[in-house]
This record gives sequence, C-alpha cells and structure tokens, in this order.
Amino acid sequence: MGVWTGLIGRRETVDARRPALSVAVLLVCCASSAASQTAPPSIRYDQHVPVAGNQPPASTLKNPFKGDSVVAAQGSTLFEGFNCGGCHGGVVGAVGPSLADGRWRYGGSDGALFMSIFYGRARGMPAFGGTLPAESIWRLVTYLQSFQPPDSTISTTSWK
Amino acid sequence: MAARRTRRPCVPISVLLAGLVACRGPAPTVVDDGQWTMPGRDYSASRFSGLAEITAANAKNLRPTWSFSTGVLGGHEGQPLVVGSTMYVVTPYPNVLYAFDLTKEGYPLRWKYRPYVDPQAIGQACCDIVNRGAFYADGKIIFNLLDGHTVAVDTANGRELWKTKIADLDAGETTPMAPLVVKDRVIVGNAGGENGVRGWVKGLDLSTGAIVWTGYSIGPDAEVLASPATFKPFYQKDQELALTSWPTDGWKHGGAPVWGWLSYDPELDLVYYGTGNPGPWNTEQRPGDNRWSTSVLARNPGDGTLRWAYQFTPADNWDYDSTQEMILTELTLNGRQRKVLVHFDKNGFVYTLDRATGELLSAEPYVPVNWARRIDLKTGRPEVDSTKLTGASRGTVKDICPSLEGGKNQQPSAWSPATQLFYLSTSNMCMDYTSFKASYLAGTPYLSAGAPYNVGPGGNLGAFIAWDPVKATRAWEIKEAYPVWSGVLATGGGVVFYGTLDGWFKAVDAKTGAVLWKFKVGSGVIGNPISFRGPDGRQYVAVYAGFGGDWLLLSGDVRSDDPADVRPPASFMPDIARHTSQGGIVWVFGLD
Repeated sequence: MGVWTGLIGRRETVDARRPALSVAVLLVCCASSAASQTAPPSIRYDQHVPVAGNQPPASTLKNPFKGDSVVAAQGSTLFEGFNCGGCHGGVVGAVGPSLADGRWRYGGSDGALFMSIFYGRARGMPAFGGTLPAESIWRLVTYLQSFQPPDSTISTTSWK
Repeated sequence: MAARRTRRPCVPISVLLAGLVACRGPAPTVVDDGQWTMPGRDYSASRFSGLAEITAANAKNLRPTWSFSTGVLGGHEGQPLVVGSTMYVVTPYPNVLYAFDLTKEGYPLRWKYRPYVDPQAIGQACCDIVNRGAFYADGKIIFNLLDGHTVAVDTANGRELWKTKIADLDAGETTPMAPLVVKDRVIVGNAGGENGVRGWVKGLDLSTGAIVWTGYSIGPDAEVLASPATFKPFYQKDQELALTSWPTDGWKHGGAPVWGWLSYDPELDLVYYGTGNPGPWNTEQRPGDNRWSTSVLARNPGDGTLRWAYQFTPADNWDYDSTQEMILTELTLNGRQRKVLVHFDKNGFVYTLDRATGELLSAEPYVPVNWARRIDLKTGRPEVDSTKLTGASRGTVKDICPSLEGGKNQQPSAWSPATQLFYLSTSNMCMDYTSFKASYLAGTPYLSAGAPYNVGPGGNLGAFIAWDPVKATRAWEIKEAYPVWSGVLATGGGVVFYGTLDGWFKAVDAKTGAVLWKFKVGSGVIGNPISFRGPDGRQYVAVYAGFGGDWLLLSGDVRSDDPADVRPPASFMPDIARHTSQGGIVWVFGLD
C-alpha cells in the first residue's frame, strides 16, 4: 500500500499550471538523482523493475495539462531525450507497440497512460517513475494524447 | 579483384557419399551420419549435408511429410537439430523446447521443456523475440533463454540439468544467439548493441554450467583477455587497442555484442565469431576505431585467450554489425594452400582471411556498396567515401548502400565443397541515415538515429545468390521481391534450399540456380533449413516458417494477435502483409 499512498500523495502536490520549466532544465533535473528522492521506494529505476500487481487504480488520475499544445511539445522533447522513440519507432511502433494508432494495450485513459510510464509494463516497458517526476510524465502523456486519432482500422488497399 | 586462386583437387571419398570431398575444410565429420547436431551442421559452419537422395532430377517430387505448430508467433530464426531418432525444436520467446520422436508416425513428442522466461525480455530484445537455436553435446540440449540464461536439458527425459544466468536483462542485455560447445566449454554471447551494453563471450563448464571465463569485446586488455604474449593481430599490434580506440569510458556502453554464429577449428583450437555495432549510432560520440566492434575475434575455447582480431568496419558509421557466420574451408591462393575463414559482412564485402594469422587475403563487394571504394589488403582498412560518413553534425546522409540491414544479416550462408560455391540470402537496399546525440539510460535504447530504406539498384529488395570465391563474382542469382532472410542448406544431391519473406520454401539446382520446386509454408521464412536421414533411411529437409525478426518491426501490419497495435505499411515494402502474417510452424519435406 505504500506505493499507493506515495503516488497519490505525489499527484496531489503537482501544481498543474505552474509556469513550465524549459525543457533543457527539465532534462538536467530529471537526470539527476534528486528526482529519484521523490519516487516511491518500491520503484527501482536503475534496474527497471516494474511493480506488477501493486498499482493504484488508474481511473483516479487526471492529466493536469490535457490539451495544452505547449506542454505537448515539451513532452515530445522528453520523448526523444529519454529514448522512448528508440523502442516505439518514433511513435509508429517498432519493438514497442505503436503509440499513434489510437489503441492502447494497457488502456488509454489519462491514468492508464501515466501508469504505463511510471511503473513500466511487464512486457519490457521500463519504469520511469524513479527518474522522471510526475510532472514530466504528464508532459509525456500530453504529447501522446496530442495525436489526431486515425481511422479505427487501416484500409488494406494501402498495402500495394 | 580477388587474388588469383587455383582449386585444390577434390577427390570423392566414396561413391556412396556423393558430394563429400576430400578438399573439404576442417569439419570433424567425415561420414555424413544423417544427423544435424549443431547450428551450422559442423564446426566449419558449412551448412552442407552430404545426403544425396534428393537431387536436381527428383526435387520436383518433394512434398510435405509432417508439420507442427509451435504455438508461438515470434519470428522463427534458427534451425531444428536431429540427434539419433529425435528432432529438437527451440521456439522464440518463451523458448519452449520440443523433442519429437521420429520413429513414430506423426512424430509425437517424447517430451517438452517449458522454462520460465522473464517477459521483460520482450521489450529489451532489439528485433523481435527470436532464438537462433540449440547445440547438442554430451547427452544435453544446450540453448539460451531470451532473458539472459543458458540452460542444459537432459535429452533422456527433458529435465533441466543446469541453468546459469549469463546476462543482465535490466541493463538491456538479451541472449538470442545459439551456443557453441567445444570439448567441455559452452560458449555464449550477449545481444543489446542498441541498448549501450558491453559485448562479451563467456565460457561455461559443460557439466555444471559454471562460468569459467568472460572475454569482453571492448575495454582493457585484461578484460578482453588480450595478453601481449598471446594476442598477435596481423595488422594493429599495439597493446590496449580495445581501450585506446575509444573516448574515455566510451567502451563501457560501446556495444560490440555477440548475437550471431560461432565456428571452430579443432587443429588450431580457435573459436571464431563476429562482434556487433558500436554504440551509440551517432559516431561523433565515440571518436576512434572502436575496437573490437564490427570485428572477427579468434579465441582459445578453454580459457578464452584472444589470439587475433581483425576489424571489418573501423569507427562504424552505419550499423554494420559483423556477427554473420565465419565459414571455415581451405583454398589455394597464389599457389599456396591456406586455411581460410570466409565472412559475408553486413557492410557488403565478402572477406577471406587466413584463419591462423588473421591476415586479410581478399575482400570484394558481393552486393552494391558505396560507403567504401575498396579494402586495402596491405593495411586491412577500408577506403571510405567521405561523403557517406554520418554523424549528428552531418544531418541526413542520403543513399548509403547497403542499408543497415546489410548485404546480408543474421541468415547464415552455406558452402558446398561439391560445387565450390557459397550460397547466400541477400538484401538489396540503401538508406538515408540521420543521427542525433544519444543519452545513455540503462535498459533503454542508446541509439538516436533513423535510417529509412530505399530499394537498391535493379528494383528488387533481395536476391538469393551463388558466390564463386575464385572468380569473386555471382555464379547465378534469383531476384526476390523482398529481402531474403532465411539461412541456406546445401546438399550432396546438388540441391540448395532457402525460404522467402513472403512464405515460399524453394529447392534450387546448386549448379544453375533453376528453381526446381517451391511450397507456400504458411508464414514468411527467416529460419535455416537442415537435412537429416530419418529412421526409415530416407532423406528429409526441415525448416521453420514464422515471419519476424527485423521485419516484424518494419513491415507494417503483419501481426494479428494484438488489437492494440496496428501499423501502416512500410514505404519501401508496402505489400508484404498481403502475403504473410506471423506464424510458427515446423515443416518436414521428403520425396514420395
């Protein structure tokens, strides 16, 4: 239950609309060990251990930046800076699944996306909760939510 | 041009063993016993079976005699083994091991081994969840689990005899390669060149699995096991080469993993293998030659001592791994008989080296190449076209051939002593390469580059070719619409076998390249065909169907098992998903 309390506590301390830090500052701050002090103790970022089966319900979490295009752009820079694109083929999918198809393996709600980044997922998604503060994770979520949802199916007539 | 070569006279050992000839390399097996006990068929990695029942004349009568779904959808690289009357199959993650009883109708299972494999490996493995196969030795089937373990399984009952953690999954290391067993050593290596790992091979004790030695590809001599007394490279002879050819500490996350094939010369007591690309892909972050990435290394198997090394692509700018197979044979070059090692590199050149000394004897392009004009045989170094150099400050560098998929990649070639030809599956693509500054973050990609592909000269994305090492030219070729990603089987009957990404398995006349027979196997072929003699005395050919590997990432919507992952088609290969999706089937073919 410690994880629960830690996460909820953290979320409540996030000032959703405080002036955005420059991305450069964000990167410096996040790469330092200071960021990990705020992480719940069960996140061992250095070993990328996801905490399967001990996560709070995602439905209680809301993205404080939702729809903010400036924040989405910052999220895009974080996305590259933290090597997300290396697995997700940019965003269209490679080793990791596509993030641009409007479909989500572990749920597409604000909270589910946050959880996937914070805790990682068992099929190889690393846990970034020990490295990135919640605010940065919400910036990433905002970026992922900024894509225009494609048609629900891809026409196979384009396969020629 | 290649050095002028004359062939050593080849004398058939026996009429019954058509195709087995005395000029053959150091393969320990003289009589073909109809088995296939190690990945490359023999220590020379020839992938040549002396069996000769299937011939160019009767191959048209081939038919499927058996098939089995592995129940796994990942890309099926690798090959089955046949030992005695049992066939062994290792699947991609989660690395199930099946043992089939070939003496009974329908080949029922003798047993099945299901290890626990950490699913984190799915996301850490760069290029699908492949496994390149097992090795039989001393009553054990030995293979790697994707999550960084080597296991030995008792052939008698399928029980696990030992399990050793060899790699650090959390650091981005995975273990898709097939072990090589020499005497009482099991030699294994790591993958993860895109995750900033540090490449190594380890020697394990065959009976206990204990790690006896570790030899890194990069870093200080002491950890590379390169002692001045025993390390004698032909070209660069300084000490601490693997340390001084990197920026400070760059080698600590510098890649050079070992995810391909190993071969062995029992007379020289040397194991040969290639290392992967240096990391990150942005070359400006690692000034220097980056030894021993993209190299061939020769080690003593007992204690790992490094005897010589040769680097194919110094300061690699293009992700040109050198993990492709090292085929051992003998050739007479300029009137002198040489024990050689032949290597078709991702960088588009085929290299012939003296395998005792590491001297480069020839290097010729086997696919269209433009990153280098030639390889200087005196220095062993490529003459690089500076307009094709990449790096974060150079923006997008266009039209580099071959692409980072290589002239060929993991798919192992075959050498036929009967025809004196190599047979290999090739890709025909070029690329536009853009790299950025990369940041190291353990267990995430240390990469920061993009390199979209374009079709190469001629408009076909791949070709299956026969390579004449004397003339240094293609004896013949079969153009294919897609990159050809399967390994090759050559046989004493004068028939060679390969498969295509769009799911055809083909038998070809070894001399002429005429397609004799083909069969649609249900999914793209990226595995390696083998041949064996069944308990009924007949010759069979086995191969996996199971699209994947690099192409799972790049081919658009070829999967159907995950409703949350749909992808647009790849621009250079938009229609492959019309012909195949994932699958996992073991096929056996024979004559009526």
